[in-house]
Formats: sequence, structure tokens, C-alpha cells
Amino acid sequence: MEMKGEMELLQRVSAHPDARCWYVEWNPAGTLLASCGGDRAIRIWGKEGDSWECKCVLSDGHQRTVRKVAWSPCGKYLASASFDATTCIWKKTDDGFESLTVLEGHENEVKCVAWAPSGNLLATCSRDKSVWIWEVDEEDEYECVSVVNSHTQDVKHVAWHPTQELLASASYDNKVCIYKEEDDDWECRATLEGHESTVWSLTFDPEGRRLASCSDDRTVKIWKESTAGDGSSDESWKCICTLSGFHGRTVYDVAWCRLTGALATACGDDGVRVFREDPTADPEQPIFFLSAHVPKAHNQDVNCVAWNPKQTGLLATCSDNGEFAVWKYNSDI
Amino acid sequence: MAFVSNGDDLFDPIVMADNRFHVEGYQEGFEEGTRQGTIEGRNHGRLHGAKLSAEVSFYNGFALAWKCLLENNSDVKARKRLKAMESLIGVIKNFPYEDPQYEKLQEDMERVRAKFRQVCSLLNVSTDFREYVRGSTGMSF
Repeated sequence: MEMKGEMELLQRVSAHPDARCWYVEWNPAGTLLASCGGDRAIRIWGKEGDSWECKCVLSDGHQRTVRKVAWSPCGKYLASASFDATTCIWKKTDDGFESLTVLEGHENEVKCVAWAPSGNLLATCSRDKSVWIWEVDEEDEYECVSVVNSHTQDVKHVAWHPTQELLASASYDNKVCIYKEEDDDWECRATLEGHESTVWSLTFDPEGRRLASCSDDRTVKIWKESTAGDGSSDESWKCICTLSGFHGRTVYDVAWCRLTGALATACGDDGVRVFREDPTADPEQPIFFLSAHVPKAHNQDVNCVAWNPKQTGLLATCSDNGEFAVWKYNSDI
Repeated sequence: MAFVSNGDDLFDPIVMADNRFHVEGYQEGFEEGTRQGTIEGRNHGRLHGAKLSAEVSFYNGFALAWKCLLENNSDVKARKRLKAMESLIGVIKNFPYEDPQYEKLQEDMERVRAKFRQVCSLLNVSTDFREYVRGSTGMSF
């Protein structure tokens, strides 16, 4: 059963001239796109008529590359993670954004920042091998709740579970760690091994039943938590599917669409791919088909891929060449 | 018969001398090396043990001092910090000083360090202790 789909390029934007565009993220309403890059700036893009225009530039927040940006679940705040070892929290105002606070503590480059769906917690990770969990109270005060050193190398990405208070991290040490809170302290509850090289990114499926990870080993792995029958607190995750042979180079990012369940990947071979799941397959042994492939989505590495949370099929990607692109993915289903 | 075997014995030590000295020399060298290695290893272990203990004791002293400072403060923030401080003291208390073969040493050290970093973040204290490490040389008045 072939789920053939196609990708249509809607717009290409030179977002961060003469620098890499490292990350793009849609706001929860799906109306704005935030991009960040090697030029140390964050740009907010909005639709004006048929095209995406720059609404705002946040250029004084960081001293070095901005590696990732994350919108809060309410859409009023934006967090930015930078190589200058800080994480900046921005608040949306009537005519732009203002810097609310700067979270310090990491010893070197912060690689990722992510908001928990509850909006009360924030996670950051860094080249200093640690993952920090921060709590925010009603007065917009941020406090570090836990520092966890489970990885033995650079931590590249952190992602929250969509419904439970559960965090996952991906690292240069080829492993994925799962964290849960125990007695006011966060600790690593499970270590997922299987990738043969750096794990670059992670994403949970819409229901939070499975986790997808992508790696320098050119594969995407799907993991599922196996329920231990004896009720022990030992959690183990099994790899239930490996997508290999599809990517020519490192897979830098993977995104699971909340609306359709489609899986998109960003690759070092300049391509963007969309995979669909075979609905007739055993859920314990899922099968994914390559539904759409744009071999030269950009003329350099694709660093990030992001599905619009409100508009089905709308996808944004960004690249080392400083540009981002907006695509429309169409398929029969 | 006896004459032939005598002949063998006569030349044997001379012919095998080289090999014999080689083996003896190796034996002596091995024993001497073991002695030297033990001394070096002991020094190495002593140095590393001291470094590790100095680090853990530093965290302990730091936590105890802050505990005293925060104990009489009743506002919410101080309560939270006090709790974190006590948690740090707790992790240090369980540290097995007597057991160098403790298999979870690395893991526990990481936990102590992580807890210390979190506490410093809560107190807004910088973790740059280079001044302290350098020692109290160069005091001026």
C-alpha cells in the first residue's frame, strides 16, 4: 500500500544572511514562525497576504549563535538557547518582544531549550553534558529544580512528552535518556541504546506512546515503552522500528505531525523526507513508507523541520545556507 | 652413557647462559618494577583521593554554612533553598569515604556535582571558584 504524497514549495526566505539558519519553530497558534541562526539573531515571521514577512528582529539577546528557539504553550513567551551559554526568555509585547530574564548556569554552549506542555517547566541541555530543569512561577521567576548528568558527552536535544511530565534527551554519546521526577528531583529512569552514532533530535508521537529519534548513523528509530508486567519501577524502552537506507547523510531533525501522524526528517544530504505509517501494520511492529522526498530542498544541510500545529500539511525547514522554506505536503490520506 | 650425559651438563650452562641471565634479569626487573609501581600507585591514589575528598568536603562546608544562614529565615524562597541545601548535605553524608572500590563512585560524584550546581543556581552564586582554588596567597592590606 503506497501512500504517495507530494511536496510543493510555497516560499523560500533568506532569513539569516551570511550565516546558518539553525532552527525554526511555529508558535502554538500556527500564525508566526520564529527562526534563529549564526548571526546571533532571532527573527519572527508572519504572513502578510501570500508571503511570509519579517515582523520582528531580536538581535541583542545573545553574544553568540542562537541554536534553538521554543515558544511557550500559551504563545506569550519565547525561549532562546545560545552558544554563549545562556538561555534568554522573551515576553511578547504589543509591538515586539522584550527580554524578561537570562538563565545562566551551563558551563558552555546551550544546545536546546524546550517548554513542558504545562507551561510551568523548562528544560535546557548543553555541551557540558548536563540537562537542567527549570520551574517558572506566577511571577515569571525561573528557578533551577534539577541538574542531571546522565550523558557522557554533548547533549544535543531535549523534548517533553505531550501529556505526561516526562523528558527525553539526545546526545553525542549515541544514547537517549528518559527523565522523570522523583521526590522533587529529576533523574534518569531509562537509557535507550541502539544508535551507532550521535543522536541529533527527538520527537514524541501525537499521543505520546512512541518516541522517534534521528542520528548521525543515517537512521530514524522508533521506540516504545514496554510495560513491565510485575509493576516494577524499572522502565525499559524498546526500539520497535528502524528506518534505514532512506537517508544519504546524517539525519539532523525529525518532527512528528500532531495533526496527521506524518513523520518528517531534515537531512545532511540537503533533502527533506516525509514518512507515513502503514495503518494495517501491527502497532508493536510499525511500518513506515517514504511518502514524499525533496532531494535538494536546500543547497546545503537541512538543520530543522517543523510541522505547523494548526494547518495540515504546512511544513517549514531551514538550512546552513541561512534560508528557511515553507512547504505544502499533500497526500491522498 | 654417563660420559655423554656429563658432556651435556658441561656445556649446558655455558650455552644456556644467555637465556638464563635473560630470565634472571627479567625476574629481578619485574620485582623491582612491582615495588616501584606500588609506590607510584600509592602516591597516585593518595593524590586523587585527596582531590576528591577536598572537593566533597568543600561542598559539605559550603552547604553547612549556607544552612546556618538560611535556617532562621522564614520566607518561602529561603525555605526552598534550605530544602535544596539539606538535599545536598544528604547526598554527601552517604558518601563512602572508606571504600575506594565503591563501584558507583563516578555516578555519585556526578550526582553531588549536579546538586551543587543546582544549589548555586538557586542562591545566585557563581560557580567560578578559581580564586579559592588558587589559595590565599597574595593577601594584601
